[in-house]
Amino acid sequence: MKKILVLFILTIILTIQFLDAYSVQRFPKPEFESGYVQPETMQPSAHAGLLAVVDVIVLAIALALVTWLVLKKRSRIGVFGMSVLSLGYFGFYRHGCVCSIGAIQNMALAVFDNAYVIPLTVIAFFILPLVFTLFFGRTFCAGVCPFGAIQDLVSFKPQKLGVRLNTVLGLIPYIYLGLAVLYAATGTDFIICRYDPFVGIFRFDATFGMFIFTGTLLLSGIFIARPYCRFLCPYGVLLNWVSRYSWKHLTITPSTCIQCRLCEDSCPYDAIDMPVTDKNPESRSGRIRKMILICALIPMLMLLGGYTGSRMHETLAGVNGKVRLAKALLEPPSSTGKPELMEVTAFKSSGKPVAMVYSEASGILRQFYLGGWILGCFLGLVFGITIAYRMVTTYRTDYTPNKGTCFSCTRCVDFCPVDHHDNV
Amino acid sequence: MKSKIIIIISLSLLLAVVLFMAWDMFYNNPDDNVNPYAYDLKSLRSGDTTKILYEETGHFSPELSAIHGVDVDKSDRICICGDNGVEIFNPAGDRESGFPISGTAGSICVDEGGRIYLGMQDHVEIYDKTGKKLMQWTSCGKDAIITSIKVSGKDVYLADAGNKVVYHFDQRGNLLKKIGEKDPERRIPGFIVPSPYFDLGIGRKGELWVVNPGRHQFEKYDGAGDLISSWGESSMSMEGFCGCCNPSNFAMLSDGSFVTAEKGIERLKVYSPAGVFRCVVAGPDSFIEGTRGIDVAVDSKDRILVLDPEKKEVRIFTMKKPGN
Ligand code: SF4
Repeated sequence: MKKILVLFILTIILTIQFLDAYSVQRFPKPEFESGYVQPETMQPSAHAGLLAVVDVIVLAIALALVTWLVLKKRSRIGVFGMSVLSLGYFGFYRHGCVCSIGAIQNMALAVFDNAYVIPLTVIAFFILPLVFTLFFGRTFCAGVCPFGAIQDLVSFKPQKLGVRLNTVLGLIPYIYLGLAVLYAATGTDFIICRYDPFVGIFRFDATFGMFIFTGTLLLSGIFIARPYCRFLCPYGVLLNWVSRYSWKHLTITPSTCIQCRLCEDSCPYDAIDMPVTDKNPESRSGRIRKMILICALIPMLMLLGGYTGSRMHETLAGVNGKVRLAKALLEPPSSTGKPELMEVTAFKSSGKPVAMVYSEASGILRQFYLGGWILGCFLGLVFGITIAYRMVTTYRTDYTPNKGTCFSCTRCVDFCPVDHHDNV
Repeated sequence: MKSKIIIIISLSLLLAVVLFMAWDMFYNNPDDNVNPYAYDLKSLRSGDTTKILYEETGHFSPELSAIHGVDVDKSDRICICGDNGVEIFNPAGDRESGFPISGTAGSICVDEGGRIYLGMQDHVEIYDKTGKKLMQWTSCGKDAIITSIKVSGKDVYLADAGNKVVYHFDQRGNLLKKIGEKDPERRIPGFIVPSPYFDLGIGRKGELWVVNPGRHQFEKYDGAGDLISSWGESSMSMEGFCGCCNPSNFAMLSDGSFVTAEKGIERLKVYSPAGVFRCVVAGPDSFIEGTRGIDVAVDSKDRILVLDPEKKEVRIFTMKKPGN
C-alpha cells in the first residue's frame, strides 16, 4: 500500500513537470495589418520535461557504471571510455546544463529565497554525485563530469606540483564556493555559470573573450592536470569533504602494498599519500602543544576572516545590480565625468522613486555584511584546518590515494604489480 | 629545470584565469554604458568592398535649394526637380535650362515626347521643357504623397505613399484604376509604406514593378492590376534589404536589371532581372550618414545617375573597367 502511495505521488510530481510543455497560448495572437509575421513562440520542446528525467536516469546509470568500473573492474580504459561518453552526452548533447557544479547555486538560492522553486532535476544532479561519493569516492569526477573529461583530453604532460603548491592553490575553490553561495543566496548572480569555462565549447558559441579564457585554462591543463577540478571547482570542495568519509574508496593495490614505489609518480593530480612511518614519532608534549596552538589559531583566523569579510561587504555587494544602480544614482554622472549609465536612464524612465532603490540596496548591503562575516569565518576555518592538517603528522604504512583529492581515475592502479589474488 | 619552467608558465596561465575572474567580477563593468539593444548599424555599414563594381566618374550640383527627383529624357538629358523649380542638364552635367514652379516637386518623369511630369505632393503637374505648364491634374486626396511617376506609352502610373496605392491614369489625367490595394482573393498583400519612400518603374516589356518597401519586396503587376510575381529578401546582409522599409528608390538598366537605393544603411546595389544580387554600386562610405531619399535614374549608356539630396549633387556612376 505504501509503495503504491509513493508511486502515485511520484507520478503526480512528474506529471506536473511535463504540464508546462503542453500548455497552450492563452490569448490568440494579434493579427497585424502590416504583414508582420509573428515569430515562433519559443517554448521548451515537448520532450524537455522527459529529457530532464532522462538526464537524471543517465546520470544515475553513468555513476553506477563508473563506480563498478572503478571499484570492481579497476579498468582505466573503461573509466576513460565512460568519461568520453559523458562528455558527449552531458557536454555536447545537453550543452553542459544542468550540471552538478552549477546546481550549488540553485540549492543556495532555494535555501535562502522562499519564492524560488528549484527543479527536481537540479536537486538530483546536486545530490546523486554526493551520495555516490559518500559510498564510493569521487567516481563522478572520474568518468561522469564532462568538465573533467575535457581537461583529461588535453592533459598530455602532467607535472608534479608538490605539496605546498597543491595546498595553497587548493584554497581557491573554497573562496570560489563561498562567493558562489553568497551571490546565489543574495540573488545577485550565478557566478559559476558566468565563469563556466567549457559551456562555450559545448555549445559552439564561445565569444572571443571566453575562447581566450577557456584556451588559457586548457593550455595550463597540458601540464597541470585538471586545473579546473583541482584549483577552481566549487563542487569539488563538497565532493572532497564527502569523499574523505567514503565507505569504500578505490585502493591502489588490490591486495597488500609491497612498497615497490612503482605507483609513486603515477598520479597526475598529486593525490597519492606517501607512507609516513612512526620511526621517530612526535613526542606527546609536542603534539599537545600543536593541538593548543591549533585550537587557538582556528577561532582567531575565523574572527579575522569574518571581520575582513564584513569590511569588504561593500566591494562584494558591488556585483549586485541594485547596489550598482543605487551607487550610480548617488554619484550623478557630472561628478564622475562619465556619461549616465544605461541602468540609470532605464530607472529614471520607469518613474519609480529613488528612495525605493536606496532602501532595497541598503537591505542588500546588510545581507552582504552578514554574508561577509559568514564567508570570512568559513574561509578562516578552511585556512585554519589546512594549516592544522599540515602541522599534524598522519602516519600510514602504504601508498594510498588521498580520499579527499583522489578522482578515482584508476591511473595508478595499472602501476601496481600486485595481482588481485596475490597473497604476499 | 625544464619542468620547473613549464610549471611556472602553467601556473602563471592558471593564475591569469583566476585573476581575470576576480577582476571581471569586482572591477570590470564593460557594458556600463553600452546598450546591448541599441540599434547600431556600424558593423553593417562596413561591407565587402570587392563587391563594389561601379565607380563615381563625375558629379554636378544643381542650383535648386533642395533636390528630390531625377530622370533622364530620351536624349540622355538629366532633369532634376526639387523645391520651387526644375533644372535640365546635358549628359556631361552642364546646365542647359531650368524653370521655376510653385511648391515642391517630390518626383519627376520625362515622357517620350519630352513632357515633364512632376509629383506635387497630392497632384501631378505637366510642363514642357521651356517651363510652360501644360496640365494640372486633380488632387489624389488630402493624404496623398506622390513619390513616383512613370509614363509608359499612354499609361501614367503614380505611387502614392500616403494612401499606399498605385494609380493608373491615362495621359489626360483620368483615373483608370487603382493597383495594389489589399485583396486576399486576388492574392494581393497590399503595400506597406511606413515612410514616404515608395517607388515604381516600368520593365522592358512594359510591366509595372512596384516596391513594397515594408515587405522588402519588388512586386510585378500586369495591365489588369494583377500581381504576377515578386522578389526580394529581408536580410541584414548585403544581398537583402533591411530596416523598416527598403529599397526607397530604384531604376532599371537596359538589360532589365534593377538598381536599388536604400536608406538607413545608404547603399546602391544591382540585382539581376530575376532579383539575384549582382554587385554594389556605392556603399555607405559614399554617403553622409543619415542620407535619405537617394533617387536613381539610368541613361541609355547604363550610367547610373544618383541624386544625393544631402550633398545636393547628382553623382554619375559607371561600371568599373576590367582590371580597375
Ligand atoms: S586513482 Fe590514483 S591516479 Fe587517479 S586520482 Fe586517485 S590516486 Fe591519482
